[in-house]
Amino acid sequence: MTESIDLSKGQETPTSPAVSSSSTLLNVDDIEVRYGTIRALKGVSFHVNEGEIVALLGANGAGKTTTQKTVSGMLRPSLGAITYDGKRIDGIPAHELIRLGICHVPEGRHVFPRMTVHENLEMGAFRFKKIDQTDLDNVLEMFPRLKERYKQLGGTLSGGEQQMLAIGRALMGKPRLLLLDEPSMGLAPLVVAQIFEILRDINNSGVTVLLVEQNAAQALGLADRGYVLETGEIVLEGTGSDLLADDRIRAAYLGEEIAAS
Amino acid sequence: MNTATRATLRRLAACLLGGFVLALMVGRQEGSLNDFGISFHQAVVGPRIFVFLLIGLVIFVMVTFWPRVVPYLTRPGVAPLGAGLLAVLAAQTVMNWYDPLVSSTGNGKFSGVRTAANASPNLSSVSVAFFGWLAWTLVIAALVACAAAIVTRVRVFGYVTAAIGIVGAVLAYVAHSAVVDLDGGIDHSLGVYADIVGFLLLACAGITAVHARAEVADTRGFLRKVMGYRPGLPIAALGVILGLLAFSTAGWFGALQINDTLAQAHSDFDGTGISSLALNYLGWLGWTLFGAAAVLSLAATYLRNRMLAWVSLILSVVGVVLTFLTLRSMTDIGAQVAPQFGGTWKNLGAGGFLACIVFSLFAAATAMVISSTSAGVRRNVRAKAPTDELPVTSMVKGFRRSSNAMPLLIIGGALALFYPPTLTLTWQNVLVGQIGVFVLLAVGLNVVVGWAGLLDLGYIAFYEIGSYTTAYLVGALPVKPPSWLQMSPLVSIPFAILACLIAGVLLGAPTLRLRGDYLAIVTLGFGEIIQILAVNNPGGFTGGPQGPTVPHPRIHLGGINITWGQDNLPYWYLLLIMLIVVIVLFYRLEGSRLGRAWAAIREDEVAAQASGVNTTRVKLLAFAIGASTSALAGSFFATQVGYFDPSLFTLQASILIVAYVVFGGMGSLQGAIAGAAVLTWLPQFLKAQVPQDDRQMWIGALVLAMMIFRPAGLLPAKRRKAELEGLDAAASSETAAVPRAGAM
Repeated sequence: MTESIDLSKGQETPTSPAVSSSSTLLNVDDIEVRYGTIRALKGVSFHVNEGEIVALLGANGAGKTTTQKTVSGMLRPSLGAITYDGKRIDGIPAHELIRLGICHVPEGRHVFPRMTVHENLEMGAFRFKKIDQTDLDNVLEMFPRLKERYKQLGGTLSGGEQQMLAIGRALMGKPRLLLLDEPSMGLAPLVVAQIFEILRDINNSGVTVLLVEQNAAQALGLADRGYVLETGEIVLEGTGSDLLADDRIRAAYLGEEIAAS
Repeated sequence: MNTATRATLRRLAACLLGGFVLALMVGRQEGSLNDFGISFHQAVVGPRIFVFLLIGLVIFVMVTFWPRVVPYLTRPGVAPLGAGLLAVLAAQTVMNWYDPLVSSTGNGKFSGVRTAANASPNLSSVSVAFFGWLAWTLVIAALVACAAAIVTRVRVFGYVTAAIGIVGAVLAYVAHSAVVDLDGGIDHSLGVYADIVGFLLLACAGITAVHARAEVADTRGFLRKVMGYRPGLPIAALGVILGLLAFSTAGWFGALQINDTLAQAHSDFDGTGISSLALNYLGWLGWTLFGAAAVLSLAATYLRNRMLAWVSLILSVVGVVLTFLTLRSMTDIGAQVAPQFGGTWKNLGAGGFLACIVFSLFAAATAMVISSTSAGVRRNVRAKAPTDELPVTSMVKGFRRSSNAMPLLIIGGALALFYPPTLTLTWQNVLVGQIGVFVLLAVGLNVVVGWAGLLDLGYIAFYEIGSYTTAYLVGALPVKPPSWLQMSPLVSIPFAILACLIAGVLLGAPTLRLRGDYLAIVTLGFGEIIQILAVNNPGGFTGGPQGPTVPHPRIHLGGINITWGQDNLPYWYLLLIMLIVVIVLFYRLEGSRLGRAWAAIREDEVAAQASGVNTTRVKLLAFAIGASTSALAGSFFATQVGYFDPSLFTLQASILIVAYVVFGGMGSLQGAIAGAAVLTWLPQFLKAQVPQDDRQMWIGALVLAMMIFRPAGLLPAKRRKAELEGLDAAASSETAAVPRAGAM
């Protein structure tokens, strides 16, 4: 497993924001994805720099999840290119992308319901021959809840705990780029805040994060930069704070009555 | 009428209807030409129906007053009462009591002996009475007395139960031996022994009910305490009892005609040119070996002495070897001198094999001592004076630690090796052709259905491909292979496996994108195509519905010459090797990375993919591994049965194997083995119990009851149990400590 050795080397080098903002880790160039005859993405382009948190926003059906699935290798773009760390990765299946350090937390959490928390985390490290004890300790330290429920079955956890388990499982794969699809879905605001806090910690430890979200306020508060998707196209981009201040965003996602005022 | 009353009434109706249906099921099913409704009449019109309605009523009362019944059901004594009743009922309804009656009247069971006893004037009156009315009266009396003891806790009732139980056991023995002595036939039946055990259990139940101080029975704890008192001692004790039977009364030679005991065999074989070792064994060596091994293993288990245990273990192994050598010598000489008693390995009684099992029991008992006295436990014992009892907890621990797989493996291995030779030819045939082969198939399908979660309804096709590949390679098909490729049946097995691997991948690669029902339909189609291909005989390849005739296997390797023929027993040992190899491999596979990947895709395919599992490859592997196991079974089957035709490989067979896996417990290796073994054994067992045409009905009823009351299967896998019983039910005990509230 030469890739994994390279990766661990790459991960050990500290990635200070100043250095990383200049190097592009993920570049999505004008991709088009079709479901049969329906064009779900009509030429989407964006990039994620090393060490950043980038948020991908959009309403239902805008193409957020399609984008995320395409990046994580579960869908194949019909046009366009995705480069990761200087290499073309479009068309590489998901299980191989994980070896390159792209781990993803699928939409709707998808924990293994009849495996214990421990077994779930173990599955996250499936690409390694042996489970890395320090990784496990780190995850359990990050999510004390999971430590409490270590022997409990995944399906018996609450929604927030399952989300934590899904994130923890992805971390067990030693990600360089972590893809998250709607981590706030169906969770109480307090829990969402807690999870976003943890995402910041993860990012601070050197993991680049691409976040697909509907919860614009929370996501933009966390993200360095953001893109807004509408019916398969990027319509806006900017830094998190800029977008948060943008009238159109406020109208569309934060429910503020800009037009009336 | 409020809802509660209505629900109660509905339940009453349902229970009575259940009794009615049971009444229809028990007894003859077919009508007669004069009266098509005769079986219905017999079942419904007549006093018999009230018994079944009463059963329904009892169930209704139990269900309705369940909360009030439960405290009594958990009292001490109920468990042995249930076990005893079950044993007595089984003994007096379904088990054989006297073998010669089976051949003369077709009914060697309790009821058959009753008829015969009534007809024979010379039989002692006790025996006639026992078989006539006494036995059942005793059972009912014991039941009533024991129930009274459990409910009232009055000592007298308990003692009465014990007395009845002991009297019943003694009478059963006396009555049975009176029949045997009078008739003098050779009897291998087990009914009387089960009956004795059952009556003794009833006696125990009575004593337990009135003497136990606890309000709630702790049967498991009691058993653990008994077994944990001295690890291995119960097994050694069982060995002593069986050994006494084996060396004193069991037949060693002339299985079906003369049934020589050990002593008789010694005098019969004296001067026949039998090896001196065997002669000495029959004379004094056997008894000496048995006595020494018994004393040593009892001492080793009681004193928990490692040294004694090792000596006893070695002696037991020597005992098995010497017994085996003696048997071989006996059977060879016997076949030469007295061919009228059967050929080689067919002229021996059960005694010699029982002796082998006895020595294995001693070995297992001492193995328990050796494993349980390692490290801490042993030091503990030595530090204290011998009279100083260990506290129960540490003894229980000692038992738990020693209850490792080793002794069980020894006992299981001994049974697998030495029990089949004592079976009748019919049962040997069932063991090889039905139980063994289908266990192999079920274990293979369990990989696909149970572990990877892919419903495969065309599994039999791989079995068929395996059979036909072997048939082709040995030159049994109309189309012959080139002469350099023609080979003997056993050599063809790897090629059959390879063929099925390829077939599995060819089927799997395009279809494994499909999930659930769709995959099931495609595999079903595949199975049908393969079967129809074999029937339609494309290009004259398969020989059509006629089917090929495959030679039996043989090995000529250097000095080793083994030939398999018509006899089923040698095939059993061949199959046993295959089974052990496959089971050990799969056992390791389950815990491997691949096993975890299968569990993951079964649980959640998206999450598995997100965790880095190559789902397509892993599913394909499951398919290929399942297919190759099937090929092994098919190849074995083709060469064992000698002649087969495509009508065996129908959709029904595929579904049956799925049923075995589900019945046993999907995803559990032990479950697949148990499921296939039980469901292939049952039809053969039912042959002697119910009319031929009713068998499927009873099997169906059993499967139905199983799926209602134990949906996770006979020996369920932990994870699958959680799936069916809800996650909370199967959550580990640690979970219970965590408060359920506090959702996030």
